[in-house]
Formats: sequence, structure tokens, C-alpha cells
Amino acid sequence: MPDFALTSEQESLRDMARKFARTEMAPHAAECDRAGRFPEEIYRKAYDLGLMNLNVPSDYGGSGLSLFDQCLIVEELAYGCGGMTTSIIANCLALEPILLAGTPEQRTRVLSPFCASYQLAAFCLTEPSGGSDAGNLRTRARRDGDHYVLTGEKCFITNAPHASLYTVFATGDPNLRHKGISAFMVPRSAEGLTPGKDEEKMGHRASSTSTVRFDGVRVPASDRLGAEGDGFSIAMRTLDQTRTPIGALATGIAQAALDHAARYSLKRETFGKPISEHQAIQIKLANMAQSVRAARLLTWFSAWTIDSGHKGTLESSIAKCFASDAALHVADEAIQTFGGYGYMKEYPVEKLLRDAKLTQIYEGANEIQRTVIARELLRDYA
Amino acid sequence: MTPPVLVFGEVHEGRVASASLEAIAVARELAGPSDPVIGFVAGSRGEAAAADFARFGVGRVLVAEDPRLDAAPVGAIAHAVTAAARSSGSSLLVAGGTTFGRELVGRLAVRWEAAVATGVTEATRVDGTLRVRRAIFGGRASETRRLEGERSAIAIRPHAFPPPVERPGALAIERVATGDLPASLMAPHRTEVKAPDRGAGPGLTDAAIVVSGGRGLRGPSEFHLVEDLAASLDAAVGASRAVTDAGWRPASFQVGQTGKAVSPQLYIAVGISGAIQHLVGMVSSRVIVAINSDAGAPIFKVADYGIVGDLFEIVPALTAEVRRARGR
Amino acid sequence: MEIVVCVKPIPEAETRLRVGADGTTFDAEGVKFVLAGYDESAVEQALLLKEAIPGSRVHVISAGPSPRTDEVLRASVALGCDLATCVDLSSANSAADPIAIARALASALATVPHDLVLCGKQAGDDEAGLVAPALGELLGVPDFGYVVDLRWDAARKLLKFQRWGESGLELWEAPTPCVIGLQQAWNDPRTAKLPAILKSRKAPIARAAPPAGPTSPSSRPERFELPPPRLGARLIEYKTPQEAAEKLVKLLREEAKVFP
Repeated sequence: MPDFALTSEQESLRDMARKFARTEMAPHAAECDRAGRFPEEIYRKAYDLGLMNLNVPSDYGGSGLSLFDQCLIVEELAYGCGGMTTSIIANCLALEPILLAGTPEQRTRVLSPFCASYQLAAFCLTEPSGGSDAGNLRTRARRDGDHYVLTGEKCFITNAPHASLYTVFATGDPNLRHKGISAFMVPRSAEGLTPGKDEEKMGHRASSTSTVRFDGVRVPASDRLGAEGDGFSIAMRTLDQTRTPIGALATGIAQAALDHAARYSLKRETFGKPISEHQAIQIKLANMAQSVRAARLLTWFSAWTIDSGHKGTLESSIAKCFASDAALHVADEAIQTFGGYGYMKEYPVEKLLRDAKLTQIYEGANEIQRTVIARELLRDYA
Repeated sequence: MTPPVLVFGEVHEGRVASASLEAIAVARELAGPSDPVIGFVAGSRGEAAAADFARFGVGRVLVAEDPRLDAAPVGAIAHAVTAAARSSGSSLLVAGGTTFGRELVGRLAVRWEAAVATGVTEATRVDGTLRVRRAIFGGRASETRRLEGERSAIAIRPHAFPPPVERPGALAIERVATGDLPASLMAPHRTEVKAPDRGAGPGLTDAAIVVSGGRGLRGPSEFHLVEDLAASLDAAVGASRAVTDAGWRPASFQVGQTGKAVSPQLYIAVGISGAIQHLVGMVSSRVIVAINSDAGAPIFKVADYGIVGDLFEIVPALTAEVRRARGR
Repeated sequence: MEIVVCVKPIPEAETRLRVGADGTTFDAEGVKFVLAGYDESAVEQALLLKEAIPGSRVHVISAGPSPRTDEVLRASVALGCDLATCVDLSSANSAADPIAIARALASALATVPHDLVLCGKQAGDDEAGLVAPALGELLGVPDFGYVVDLRWDAARKLLKFQRWGESGLELWEAPTPCVIGLQQAWNDPRTAKLPAILKSRKAPIARAAPPAGPTSPSSRPERFELPPPRLGARLIEYKTPQEAAEKLVKLLREEAKVFP
């Protein structure tokens, strides 16, 4: 029998994340959003409590959670602030290639010291010339004896200005397309590695995003992940793992929007009664609630599928795509419920819309997700 | 003669604490018209304190005149009270809602084998069955309990009952022996007492009137408006979490779920919107007044009286009016 | 130092209270039980002492219906308590009587070494504040409630603490053993870390039998009531602030009768 009940262990993890989100993150969310401030003190606390390297096994100093449990936590964190959550879970994305393709020696040498203190990592795949076309990389990795020399530029890299470790995808030969790509671990101290300045973003303003330049950065061959040419596959397998938590992140934003709208509807009166008694608002709330539930269940199902040992490409694409669309829709309807007040920065809902928007774009734009969904789907009919 | 009802008088500096005197009316109610109500005091100034009982019509007072009990832990006082209760043949003790009174009845539950209750807001005794009502869940609910057994001891909730009426009468003091006090109970030692700060401790939790300020005051420099109003009313000063989190006032001022729970006769909320976490700390106050510029603020849902308006105009006017009305 | 903390599972603060089927208590169906707020401060105090006194151990005990008790015991272990014991009162029908809880704790303490027993000075559900003094009497040791800031004077082997009394903040010194009831939220209780939460799930919980025999005299809840919904404030109409002030003072004096 499928079972939707959480275990008491899962409840205690969720409760702990909920408390952190509501007492440590949410009170600072508006201020960080307004100022575009990267609240390092909050990220340090998240690290101290074990909320940062969720996917890293405890042997290497992480929390070693199943994908399902990661999703429970990410949804709660995103309820507090979507932008902060992006920065908190960026390590999971950046470290996943090492978990998937790193040798035991590499993991012990790099992951263990990395996880032993508060440090940030950055996943460097996207390039200015195109994000979705991940096989078409321009950043070069030229072999030079027992080293590689990296040259090129990455963009939209989460936490890049603050990271101490970068997982970088670069090609030995662009003509080989995705077969030419390899993956590398590069420390911040590597000569020629330069993060750019923090981008001004529409949402997720508590997170930090910049370009990263590689000017002849020498990387020992021992820091290559997997075999030469494995990079594209490592990147895709990484995204298969991390797409589902983006569904959870979007669900958290959507739940926050629904909660704000429902509470406001009971308080705000028009035509002599609370707007919650007007059918137009009731229908909105009912639709929003359906979207939130569906997003959560699709996310849970995807996490369960992957935790059960399946690749889950279809399920994770559906979860990410649906939940992010739902988040945008629910945040939009929350603003509509608030009316003019919803459009004001003094109220919390317009931020949710701006934060929700990114979940449709990053970690595989929803257009790509739909392409993947259609491809996976049609395979069964061919 | 029916057994007397015993009122525990907590003595400070030779006087019975006013919270203890509130217990007299309750004892009288439970005793019925013909049953005696007697007082109990302990310590080296017990006889002097006994006069406070006589002032309110309790003419028979048991006195454990014993310097060992001046600054003794509640466990030692429980010994003396039990001895007195046994010698007087009493089967019911009523204590005031002091911190000490509540702990005393806890000790008596075991030592005197009494059924006990604290925070009592109503008490009835019908055909010998004692029932009490008390606020629970921070005032969000109440319960009625039946106390079973031959003996009972209750501590009332501060300000839940009207203050006693003066009825001066004769005083008959009966000395009661404390007997041996176990060394372990006498070992703790009180080294100092600091006067309460108006915005903390019982100054806040036990005050009859509390004036609290919230975010609506806009900054620490305006918080004196709340303090001035409180001073005019001889009230304690409280604050919402927004105020203590922002550091305008220390955390000891905070009223609410993570701060102090208060239940004064009168609670005045100034510039407090009324988040649930604040409401659970004050909703059991007898009368609530809210002053806020936002007519939609949830505080108006729980308040008895509300003034919607600019607190920077209303509060100084109110302070002036209170001073005028009180002739100050 | 052998430190024992007594903790109680209570409904979480956000619980929407409902009257239970028999009308004597609240409806526990679907209610989430958590560590009582005052007890969180007691656990924090125990851990602070443990960190300050080498060789100390913290043993957490809960008397109540299992599995609610187990959840708060595990939560306490996740925070840093070393050992956990549950006195299961689910069949004893006495979990609603604070004195019965104190007796159950005392019976467990008969076999648990303890120099110092800490608990919240009351719990946010029944608000009784009876467990600490009753436990003190049962153990034959002094008790103090309303305590903030407890320290150990290692040189003089004395507990030093402050408590709120009727005349102000009292400073005390006391040898062990004794029972201390802590005030809430003065020591900023820590948050459990995620790995500790996971580990606490596997922590062993010792089971102690509830005391045999009758627990009378006792108090029994007969009726649980929710207050009628407040109707909302009567808004004072005024033209000038002075008029508002005058009207309010008149109402407080003549109608509400709370004007000093």
C-alpha cells in the first residue's frame, strides 16, 4: 500500500526546518529582499544545524538524507524565504557531481574537509551563450601534462562570489559537443579563477549570483571527476537528482502564498463581509489549494521514485515543471486576493511572485522540462 | 463545630502580602456563614503580621513565631503549615496567588495528603464537595476540577477575586509549634532580595494593571509614552515581541507565548497589532483596551474597548486624563 | 553531577483547542504534542550545567501517556541529554493529575541517581505548577520555582540561583540535592541539530513502571470549556484625543470598574 504518512523521524526533521524557516529566515526575508543582502549569518546557522549539505553522506560530514527527506526540508525552508533556500541548497547541487562521479579518494580528500566547516560550493555549467543547450559549452579544458588548463566564462552561478569550491564543466573539443565535456573540482584559490560582481536580480535577492571567469586556470588531472568526456552525463545525472528539490522549493513558496491569501481573506472586508465569504475569492483559494497539494504530491512521488532506485527523469521533470508553474500561479492569485495591497512592497506576496518566477527558469527551464517529459512519454508509445 | 478554613498569610517585612489577603473572601465563601475562618502566619514577626488578618475580620490567627521561617524555603513552611492545620483540625486551606502560595499547596499535596489546585478563579463547596475553576492553556480555556479526599488546599489566581473589605475586629493569637525542621530543608540560604523592576518578574506577571507597547510606537525614543501612561495608573510595563526583538526594551518586558503570561484586571495594548503569540500571553486579562491606528488589527477582536487613532495623540491625552481623574 | 530533567508533552502552541468527547478535557485527536516551553528552558539549563561541570550527565524523564512521552524524550536527547526514561501512564488514567505525575516521577527517581532535579516551573497546558513542589516533598528535598539563572559554585559545592518571589528577585544558595522549577524563555533554548535529531531516533528509552496503588487524594477534571468568542472591542467615537481619553476613563471607572 502506498503510504502518505510521514514517519515520526520525518516529522521531527520537518518541524526543525519549519522552526528555522519561521524564526531565523522569515523575519529577515523582506529586508534581505529589499537590500539584495546575502545574509551569511543565517547561512552559517543553517550549516551549524546540518541544513546545508543535505545530500552528502554522514561519512563525509553531511546530513546524508534521502531525496524525500531533503524535499521535506527544502519546502519548509522555502516557506521562510525562497532566495535564502536557493543559497542554502546550492551546495547540494554543486557537490552532487562529486557524490556521483568522485572516487573514494577524491571524496575523502575534498568533501570531508569541505563539509567540516561552513563553506559554499558553486555549480558551474551555464554559459552566457546558452544555458539550456548544455551540450554546447565554450569553456575549454586543454590537457597539459598532468594538468588541465581551463579558459572561459560561466554565468548565473549561484553563490559564486562566496564559494570556496567550484564544480566546473568544460570541453576538450567543442566539435565533440556533449561527448567532449569533462567535469572538474576547482578551489577558489586557483589562480585565474575570478567570480564577477553580484547580479541585480528580480527575485531570490537574498541569494548571490555572478559570472565566474577562468583565465588559464590550472587544474590537476586528479581533480577531474569521472573519465574525460563523462562531464555531460555527470551534469545530467546531477540535475536528475536536484530537480525534485526545486519542486519542493516551489511548493514552499506556493504554500506561503496560499497561507497569506487565506488569512488575509478572513480579515479583509468588502461589501460588509470578509472577502472569504465572496465566491470569487473562495474559488481562487480552492484552486490555489489544489495546485499546492498537487505540487507537493508530485514532488513526493518523484522523490520516492528516485529513492526507490529509479532514474526518475520523467517524474522529476513533471514535479519541477508543475510545481514551479503552480508557484507562479498561486503567488499571482495571492496578489489578486490582496488587490492593490498585494502590489505593494509593504505586503509579503509580491516577493513570492518574483521568487516563484525563477523556479520556472533555473535548473532546466520549463521548456526543457516539457521537452524531456514529451520525449520520455512518447518513448512508451513508439 | 465544623472544621475551620485556614488562610495562609505570606509575611513580608512584618506584613501579610496583599495577594494573601485576597484569599480571605474565598475562604469565607467556602466556609459558609457559621464556619470559622482562621489565619496562619510564620516567622519572627508573625504576631505583628497577624494584625493584618484582624483588620479584615479574621480574628483567630495561628502564629508559628519562629525566626527560622523568616527566609525559609517553601518546604520548611509546608512543615509549619501542616503542623498548624493538624492542630486546628482544619480540612481546607486557601492560599493567595503568590509564587510561594502555589508552591506551598504543591508541597501540601504530599505532606498534608491534600487534594490541591492552583490558579483558582472560582471555588464552590456543595455538600462537602469542593469544585474549582481555573484558567488553562494560557487563558485559552478553563477547566472545572473536583477535589477528592478529606483535605484540600488551593491557591487562588491573583486579581481573580475582589480585594477584601476592611472589617476590623478583635485578634486572638494562638501560638503553634513548628517542631523539628529537617536539616535538608533548612540548608538553602537566601542571600539577597532585589526590589522588582517594573518591567519584569512579578512586577509584570502579578500587576493589577499592565500597559504594553508595540511596534506602533515606531522606536525606542517614543516608548516613554507607554511608561508615562503606566506610571499614571501605577501599572507595570509590558511590550510585544517586536519591541523586545528590536531591543527597544529588554526581553524581560515581553508579554506573549515566548515571554510572560499576564492576567491583570486591566490590560492596555498600545500600538500592538495582536499577533496570536502576543494574544496567548494576555487574553485572559479581565478588561482589555486597545489603542491602534489600524482598525483591522486583530487586537480589537479580543479587546473590550478600542480607540482607533493616532497613538501619539491619544496616549498623552489619556495619561493627562488619568492623572486628572486620580487627582495627581 | 547527575542531573535529571523532567519533561512533559503538551499540545503545540498553535493547537486549535476543542472540547473532548466526554467534556472533561480537550480533544487530543490529531493534536501534535511537543516539549513544553518551560521544560525547554529546563533542558537548556541542564545542558549548560553539564557543559560547566566536568563528568556530568543529564537524564531526561517523562511521565505520561506513551508515545507522546517518547517524542519529547527524543527531542531532549537530540538537544544533548544523555539518557531517557519514560514512565508510561497511558493505562494509569492519571496523566491529567499533576500530583500523580509527580508520584510517577518520584518512583522512577528511586532507581535513577540524581543530585539535581530540574523541570519547567509549570506546563503550558494545565498551568498547575505543582510537579516541582510535590516532587520536592516526595523526595524529601527543598524545591524552588520561578528560577532564572542557575549556576554551580564548584569551590563551595553550592547551587546559586535567582528566583522571583513576592518581594522581588531573590538570590539563593543551596546544596544538592534539590528540585528546581525553571522560568520560561530566559535562557534562549538551543535548537537541535539535524544529525542529532536523526541519532535521537535510535536512542534507547528506558521504561519504568508507574507506581502501584491508589493515587488519592487527587483532583479530577470534570469540565473543559472554551471561552465564548470575544465580541470585539467597543470602539470609542471621538472628535478630539481629549474626548477619547475622557470617555475611556469614564468607561473604565463606571462600567468596567477597573480604574484605580
